[in-house]
Parts: sequence; C-alpha cells; structure tokens
Amino acid sequence: MKTLKKTLFAGAAAAALFAASPVLAACELKIGVVGGLSGATAQWGLALKGAAEYLAAEANAAGGGGLKVGNELCKISTIAVDSKATAEGAAAAANQLVSQNVKFILGPVVTPEATGIKPIALRNKLLVFQNSFAKDAIGPRWPLVFHEGPGPSVWADSIVKVAKTKFNIKSVVLVAPNDQGGTDITSVDIEAYKANGIEASEEFYQRGNPNFAAVVARVLAKNPDTVDTSSTAPGDAGVLVKQLRQAGFTGTIGRLGGPATDEILRVAGGPDVLKNFYWYENVPLEDPNIRAIADDYKKLMGTAPPENTMLYLWVGVGRLLFQAISNAGTITDTEKVAEVLRKLPINDKNLGKGRWTGKSFFGIQQEVSFPFGIGLIVDGKVQPILRAEVPEVD
Amino acid sequence: MTGFVSAGLIGISLGAQYALLALGFTLIFGILGVVNFAHGGFYVLGGYAAYSCVAFLGMPYPLAVIVAMFATGALGYVFELFVVERVVDDHLATLMLTLGLYLMIGTGVQAVFGPESPQFSFPITGTLRFGGFYIPLENLVVLAVCLVAIGAVYFLMYRTDLGRGLRALADNRAVAATQGLRPKLLFPLAFALSCGLAGLTGALVTPILSLGPLVGEPVLAMAFLTVILGGFGSIVGATVAAFLVGLIEAYSVVYLGGSKGALALFVLVLIVLIVKPSGLFGKEARGA
Repeated sequence: MKTLKKTLFAGAAAAALFAASPVLAACELKIGVVGGLSGATAQWGLALKGAAEYLAAEANAAGGGGLKVGNELCKISTIAVDSKATAEGAAAAANQLVSQNVKFILGPVVTPEATGIKPIALRNKLLVFQNSFAKDAIGPRWPLVFHEGPGPSVWADSIVKVAKTKFNIKSVVLVAPNDQGGTDITSVDIEAYKANGIEASEEFYQRGNPNFAAVVARVLAKNPDTVDTSSTAPGDAGVLVKQLRQAGFTGTIGRLGGPATDEILRVAGGPDVLKNFYWYENVPLEDPNIRAIADDYKKLMGTAPPENTMLYLWVGVGRLLFQAISNAGTITDTEKVAEVLRKLPINDKNLGKGRWTGKSFFGIQQEVSFPFGIGLIVDGKVQPILRAEVPEVD
Repeated sequence: MTGFVSAGLIGISLGAQYALLALGFTLIFGILGVVNFAHGGFYVLGGYAAYSCVAFLGMPYPLAVIVAMFATGALGYVFELFVVERVVDDHLATLMLTLGLYLMIGTGVQAVFGPESPQFSFPITGTLRFGGFYIPLENLVVLAVCLVAIGAVYFLMYRTDLGRGLRALADNRAVAATQGLRPKLLFPLAFALSCGLAGLTGALVTPILSLGPLVGEPVLAMAFLTVILGGFGSIVGATVAAFLVGLIEAYSVVYLGGSKGALALFVLVLIVLIVKPSGLFGKEARGA
C-alpha cells in the first residue's frame, strides 16, 4: 500500500511538472534567411545570415534549449538562400523556403529583392522582416511584411543637419543604381538635403557596372562640393570613391544609404582617401552595450562576427520576432504572430529602446526603429559614432 | 571641350580593357569555334592569382601579373585538352561546358576567398593632369600593356609558323590537317593563349576596380558585346570594336547619363547587326 502511494505521488508530481514546464518535443522553428550572399552586396547579406545564425544559437542555448512556444520548446534552425540581390533571386528563394515549410523570413536587404519577395509573402502568408529603403518597402497591401528600420525617411534629415554643419555643404550630387534600389532612396535623401537648404541632384548608373570613370566625369561637370554614394553596393561604392579621388575631386563624400564603411575604406584605400566622409550607421556603435553583441557572438559562434554593422539591427529585430512567436504561442499562424508583434514594446537588451514608425511614410506602423548612428571621418581621422535617437516622425 | 576630351580619354582607357578581354574571347571562337563562357571566370582567376601572389607570397606586383597570366593559361590548356577537346565540334556542348566551368570557378573562388572584396590595390597611384584633362597612371599602364598584348598577338598570328597554323586550322580544319597540322596540339595552345589573356586582364584591372568572385559576369557580357560588334572570330574586329565600345560608353554616359549609356551601346549593336549581321569585320560564315 505504501509503495502504491509512493508510486501515485511520484506519478502525480511528474504529471504536474509536465504540465507546468515546456517540454522538449519535436518542435522545430525554421527561420528563412534571404539576402545577397555573393556579389557586391554580399557584406550586407552576410551580416544578415550571421545575425540569423547567432539568434538561433542564442535561443537554442537559452533556457531549456530552444524558444518557448506555448507548451513546447522549439529548436530554431536557419535556412539561408542566396538571392544575389535580385528580385527574381529573392522570389525564387522565398518559393524554395515555402516548399520547406518556412513561415518566417529574415531579409532580404535591398529593394529589388524586397520587390521580388513581397508577392510571395502575400500569397503564402509569410511573415517577412526586410530592410529595403524603397518607398514601398512596407505598406497596408502587405500586412505581414515588417521593416527593419529606421529607413531614410527617419534618419536622413538628422544626418544632413550634422553633415551640413560639420562640412559646410552647399551642393551635393547623389550617385545610385538606376533601379528602385537607387531611385527611391535618392528621392528621399534629396528631399532631406533640399529641406536643409542644400542644392541636390542625382546621377544614376546601370547596376553591375564595375567602372564609374564616365559617371564620375558627369558628376564632376556639376561641380558639387559633396558627392553622396547613396545606396550603391558596398563594393561599387569603394570603386566610385577611388575614381572620384583619381579624377581630382577633393570635396566631401557622404553616404545616406546602407552602411558599408569598412568595404569602402578597403577598396578605396583608407581614411586618407575618404578624407571627409559622413554616413548613416545602423547603430550607435560606441555604446558598449551594443558592442557586447560582438563579444557574445564570438563566444557563442566561435568565430568573429560579420563585418557590417547591419548585424546588430538584425539581432534586435530577430529577438523581437522570436518574442512575438513565443507570446503568440504558434510557429505556424503568422497572422497571429504579426498581431502580437505590432503591440510589442521595442526595448532590446543591447540596442535599447526603440519605436514603431512608418505610419506617416508607409501608411502602416510596421517599421522597427532603434536609435541609429552618424559616422564621420574628418580630415582622414575616423571619429566616434554619434548617437541619434529616433525622431518623432509618426 | 574639356569634357569632350576627358570623355575620349576615359573611352580609350575603357577600350583598352575591353580589347584585352575581347582579344582572347574572339581567338577561341576564331580558331576553335568555341564560345568560351568561362572567359569571365579566367578574368576572375587572374585577379585572385595575382592577389594571392602579392598578399600571401609577397611577390612584386609585376611578377604576380606574369604568374597570373601563365597560371590561367596553363589551366586553360588543361581544360581544353581534357574537357573541351572531346566535344570541340559540338557548339552546344562546349557552351554548356564553359558555362559550367564559369560557375565552378565563381563558386570555388568564393569558397576559398569569401564573397567580399579583398584589399588589392594597384601599386602605382596618381593621376596625370594636363590642363583640364586627367588620366590615372594605372589606366596608362593598362593601355600600354594592352597595346603590347595586341601587338604580340598580331605578331604571333601573322608572323610565326604557330600563328599561320592556327589561322589555317581556323580557315579549314580538314585541309589544314591534311597538311600535317595537328588540332589536338594546337587547340589547347590557342585556348591557353586566350585564357592567359583573360588572366592578364584580371590581374591588371581588378586592382584598379574591385576584385570579387562574381566580377567576371559584367566583364563577360562586355567581351561578348564587343566581339559581336567586331565580328565573331576577327582579331581586328575585336580590337576596333573594343575601342569603339569604350568611346561610345564614355560619351553616352557623360552626355546622356549613366542609364542611357548602356542603352546606347545595345542600340548600336542592334543597328550594326541589322545592317551587317556578321559584325563590323566578321566573315559571313566560319570555315571550320
């Protein structure tokens, strides 16, 4: 009788424990990663891929070994597909991920990719977190597409103000590819320059053109005191800067586009070549709390983090997405996850407090905006990244 | 006027790069009848070979360029001998094989060196200025090497027994073979020469522009365009067309804008092909 009581008690205790704590089941949360992992935009794609793998490792190492979703612990895996920074590449990548039952996608990064992935996301109810700077990066037509921000509508004005004061800018020519990835962002940037009393115009080139000599000649004919490399791919921007300097351009160089300073420095030949340079930086990198991500990455992944600072932003939005999945208690119902996500406060343990933006610019409040950075090189010396809070644009 | 002359100088610089590339591309077609889709891959390999020699072996850059040229040439020789030679008369097969090789080269280079551009700079910096015009010194070096290479190829093809043999094979393989010429010996040599030229271009041009596993794609497209314009298989045509393409690109970009520059080139090629389907210097049909 005593033995029976003991057995019953042990059984009841085990059942109670079973009910109270999540269990390791065969639950697998697959996160798709879509980005240009090769070619001129590889630096951005690799930062995204690195962030996704780090996020998975972080979640898998925490707690009981996975993300708590309802009553289950879900092991997170990532599937990365190279979209080669093209619309058709991103669409093909998304379709491939759909065939593998992927419901959540981090990426893509550039506008042509975003254009390619949105219809697939809409048709298959994929929850996509992408980074494009297009004017229609997100919108009410794509309720499950979120934006890793902030985009230029949020930060361009703040950076132009700092650059104008620092370098006494009076005229600028923006150089960008002649697709939506270039035309959209330059139109937003130009508005910001003009609003600050700076004469601004644009020059476009065919994406994939490795030689800017003729474009440079055209730019210099306008005699600007500043050239903004806008959303040129990192590798291309380095060539553009090098050829500008070879042509005798001594003015300021700017970059109100995706940050690529390391690659520009490498290809162009160092800070002395850039001399006076300003750029949008994804995060205020001087913050030790943000830098801690890099240390943790090294510890967890056993290798150095990807070079591009886009890594940090992807980590921030990835954690937010995981939180929403966990709170919604589902790894299949993306609409439910999106609903939870929209209401989540933005307060990352490393990136700090952010805001939901996008209502006034995109017509939908689905842009995650963390504090950003303003990078400066003055007289060939790299300055500490300035911190900029997200302005109240919405 | 300053802008006009500057655009002309840019066009000549571009033309020199395109000529180096197109020369090898057209040689292969002229002699073997093979459209070498791996040409851009050998350009990439030339760049990485020179970069490796400088960065890892500490070689002086000029020596690295020579090593890169011979290394890519040797690889081309082996590829022709063991792969292309077996199906050399099957245009579709050679097209697929060379395309496959290009993909393998791109993927292989990416696996070894990673997708980002390494730091690979031309050792000579500075810009030559006179009045309102300018030309970077590195472009002058490329132009000089290009002229030497064109001269060497002309000498080889028109003043040596090897060149005569290659031209005889290009003209009529069956008749040439009855005269004792051996395609299996000469074809790999021609392929090596072509790939060596692509490697030389890659070693010279990538430190001026940028080096990456996929930089061969636009280069291949431009070489293809040049060779079509000049006339497939014509060395003179490829050279003239390369400078023509460079000049048109420079002038159209400077005066019409970056987007319309590319369009102007394709419109020109279309017009030429409508008026003269064999290209500027092409023959109506190959004899091989």
